This record gives sequence, C-alpha cells and structure tokens, in this order.
Amino acid sequence: MKSQKIGKVATIVILGVILAIVLVPIWWTIVLSFDRTATTQLPEFSWWPHEFSTFNYTAAAKIIDIGRYYFNTLFLAAVNTLISVFFAMMCGFAFAKGKFHGKKIIYILMLAVMMVPFESRMVPLYIEYRDWGLLNTYWPLILGQFAYAYGAFFARQNIASIPDSLLESVYLDGGGVWRGFFSIILPLSKPIIATLCILQFIAQWNSYLWPLVVIRDLKKQVISVGVAFFNAQQNSVYYGPRMAVAVLSAIPLTIVFLFLQKNIVASIAVSGMKQ
Amino acid sequence: MNASKFVKLKKELRWYPFVIVSVIALILFVYIPMFRTVQYSLYDVSIVGYGEKFCGLKNYRTLFGQSQFLKSILNTVILTLLSLITIPIGFLLAVAINSFGRTKIQSFFRIGYYLPNIITGVSVILMFQAVLQGHGGLLNTFLSAILHREITIGWISDVKYAKLGATILWIWQSSGYAMLINLASLQAIPTELYEAASVDGANSFHKITRITMPLMKDCFTFLFVTGVINGLSRFTDLYILGGNSSAGIPSGSLQTILMYIYQYSFETPNFGLSSAGSMILFALVFVFTLANVKLTGFMDVENN
Repeated sequence: MKSQKIGKVATIVILGVILAIVLVPIWWTIVLSFDRTATTQLPEFSWWPHEFSTFNYTAAAKIIDIGRYYFNTLFLAAVNTLISVFFAMMCGFAFAKGKFHGKKIIYILMLAVMMVPFESRMVPLYIEYRDWGLLNTYWPLILGQFAYAYGAFFARQNIASIPDSLLESVYLDGGGVWRGFFSIILPLSKPIIATLCILQFIAQWNSYLWPLVVIRDLKKQVISVGVAFFNAQQNSVYYGPRMAVAVLSAIPLTIVFLFLQKNIVASIAVSGMKQ
Repeated sequence: MNASKFVKLKKELRWYPFVIVSVIALILFVYIPMFRTVQYSLYDVSIVGYGEKFCGLKNYRTLFGQSQFLKSILNTVILTLLSLITIPIGFLLAVAINSFGRTKIQSFFRIGYYLPNIITGVSVILMFQAVLQGHGGLLNTFLSAILHREITIGWISDVKYAKLGATILWIWQSSGYAMLINLASLQAIPTELYEAASVDGANSFHKITRITMPLMKDCFTFLFVTGVINGLSRFTDLYILGGNSSAGIPSGSLQTILMYIYQYSFETPNFGLSSAGSMILFALVFVFTLANVKLTGFMDVENN
C-alpha cells in the first residue's frame, strides 16, 4: 500500500510540474501586459513586470476599440446560438418523433452537411451574398445558422429517448405537436440544450474566417478579426499593448469557463462521444 | 381521396413546419454553393460576373502542375501528421488524471489542462508570437536555461523550424481537448474489468495495454479523424501568425490548402482555380469523414 501512495504523490508532482510549464506562457503574457519595458523588444523573462504600469492598456485602448468588438461578438454569438439551437431542436423533434414523407431523405441531407467542409463552399457562398447585396452586413453570419446539422443530430438522439407516452397524453388532451414540443420536449431536453448552447457559443466566439471574408467595415467586425487586424498593424512592434489586447480578448470566455467549468467540460466530452 | 387518407396526410403535414426553415437554409447555403463550387472548378473565371468560359479540367491540371499548390498540400499533410501527437499526449494525461478517481485533485488537473483550449483562439496566437520569438521568446529562454547555452531559434520566422513552432502552438492549445475526450472514454470503462484483471495478477502496464487501449479504439478513431479534418482545414492561426497574410510566411512554408484557396479567392482572385482547390479539400475531408462514419458507427441512420 505504501508504494501505491508514493506512486500517487509522484503522479501529482509530475502532473503539477507539467501543468506549471503549460501555464507559464499565460502568466508571462499577463506580466508583459503590465510591463512598461515591453516595447519593440521583448524584455528578459521575469515572473513580475520589470516596471509595473498600466500604460500598455491605455495605449491599446487608443488604437483598438475592444469594447465595440466585445459587443459585436457577444451580440452575434447570442443571436446565432439561439437560432441554431432552437431550429436544431425543432428538426431533432421531427426526426425523432415525426412520421412524414421524405423524413429519411431530409435527415440524410442534413447529416451529409457534416461531410462538406464549410471552406469548400465558401467562395460561391460569398458570391451569393455579394449578388444579394448583403456583404458587410450581419446577414451572412446569421442566415447559415438556421441549419445546424450537428445540433439536429444530437437533438434527435436525445429526444428519441423521451417516452412517446408523454406526448400522447398531450395529444389526448387535445394539444397538437407544437404544444408537445413546447410543454414536453423542450423542458425535458434542458441538458442537451445547454450542451449545444455551450458548444455553439464557444464556436461562435472564436469564428474567424467567414467574418473576415464577408465583413469589410472594421467597426462591425468580431473580436477575433479585430484583434488580428490590430496585431498585423502592430506586427513586431510594441509587445506590451499586443499582450494587453491578448489578455483583454481572452477574459470573457475564461471567466465564463471558470464559473461554468463543470458544464462546459461535460459538454465538450459529450460532443466527442457517439451516444 | 378517401377520408382516412386525408386524415393521415393532415397528420403528416403538421411535421413539415418543424424542418422547413432548416431545409431551405440547407439548400440555399449548403447545396447550391457546393454545386457552384463544382461548376466554377470547371470554368475559366477570375471574378464571377465578369465573364466565364467552360474549360473542362484545365483548372485541375493547372493546380497539379503548380509547385505552390503541391507545396501547400505537402505543408498541410506534414502539419496535420505533426498535430496528431496530441492524441497520445492526451491519452497519457488522461490515464494519469484518471488514476485519482473522481476527487478534487482530478477535477483540478482536468480544469488546469483544459484551460488552454478555452482561451480565445486569437489570444493564444498573440501570446505565442511572443513565446516563439527568436530573441527573448519564452521557449528559447527555457531551452537556454536547461541547455546552458544561448538558443535563438526563430520558431516562426525560420523556414526550417516554422512547422515545428506552429505545431508547438497546436499542441499547447489542443492537448487539453484530447485529454478531455480520452478521460470521458476512460471513465466509461467498467471498473469490474480492472478488478478481474487484478485478481488474475495483471500489473498496471498490462491493464493499460490489454484492457484500456483496445476498449478506447473508438475514442482514438474519433480523435484521429477529427484531428485530420481539423488539420486539413487549418487556417486561422497560421494566417494570423503570418501577419494577416495567406502566403504562409515564412516563405510559403506554412501555407495550407485552405490558405491557398483564400489567396486565390480574395487576394489575387481566380475563382476557377480556388474552386478546383476547394474540390480537392472537399474530397480529402469527405474521405476521412466517411472513414469516421464507417469505423465508429457515428451518424448511424437507423429507422425508429
């Protein structure tokens, strides 16, 4: 039993050391963001700023309107998450409990989307929106969310396990499929809804390529593109403000993660499993 | 039409409103654009709307005769293969973390190792521009300290090391994800199996190689296939590392297929060529997704 205990302590020590090495870059980034000496050259590594100052943050604030990017990204992430998850639940319900012609074909058409990488249809999609005059608006970022194939697939798996008898009792009371959807299916699907919302929100928050392509006006941009644009302008000069921006753009999702870590970790784990 | 058939039809009609919006979105934003990609790839067209001419497979011939495109494929394949090392790393971490049972220690390490994956992607890239810097970068500082001599490797500026540098970034960011998926899969293995093996006198090493690893086949397959798919469509980090350029700085050594497609779509537009490139990307991803479906039974289309 003693050797087992030693093994356990050794595992903790090894995992702890590796974790420390993994997390040092984050700490160093925070240190640099408060270091007045982080200018065009990186200062020597230190655990604490050589010259503590909030200059980098005030300097960054003058060049990049990060508050605006937060707002744009939050707005789009919220709207897109709501739309995609709600319509995924509707599809999932129809696929799991509905009986109608063409169900199987529609289901397969939807699943097949997962085999078509977004990037391989990006150019014609861009041209489509160009011809509709919708470039540089949020429509190209929102409209595609009405078909969330992955979500519909997971929703169907989960809704299929809800007993038919619950729905039948609604129908017997004279309620229709819509009442069944809103009063039985949605309330009983809270875990899968939460999971899909978490996955979608994180994906939306990090989206980069498509906003880069369709939004030309920097004021309307999302945080990833805005920060990358700032970074390209500042490339190889002034490390301090760059690290300040890196810290600022990482804060919202990190805070959300620390509060909801149990749910987020469970959602990510579930997304990798067939059910 | 008799009455019962009418009732049945009416019953069926209730269901279409649930799917119609998504179906329209699928057609407009997935299937029509996909068919257009096929079409443009067979046309001589620089910017759509300003004259296009059918040219058969000319774009594909151009692609495969162009060293830049072949290089971008090779870059993508090398970077993808290198990125797959996150799977064994994630597995080892998961085995170690799982050994604590469902305790506070376990959840501490699980959160800690997963943290890099949740940080906004663009922040990670900015961070690693400093970490991988040749002069004063954290990685070189660390290497200098343990090797007792000054190391000034330009991890993202030197052509020789750029792929390695980009892979270090990827490992840092993605190992936590691989760990999490491995851990979930590990915890689904019934403990009775290990108890039975202990009774038979198996040691920990045998338990891992004879029980754990075979039972985790589906998990490995999933991580392998999704890893390959993500690797094939790698874009954002390398684009930003190059200072918002799809050229794959330094000197094209980090240009992936998708960066090539982007370059010929939006920087020096040749939609015919970029569509042909998209078709090749599509074919590669399709093959791997199909493999995923076949190997793991994911997306089984069964009737209920």
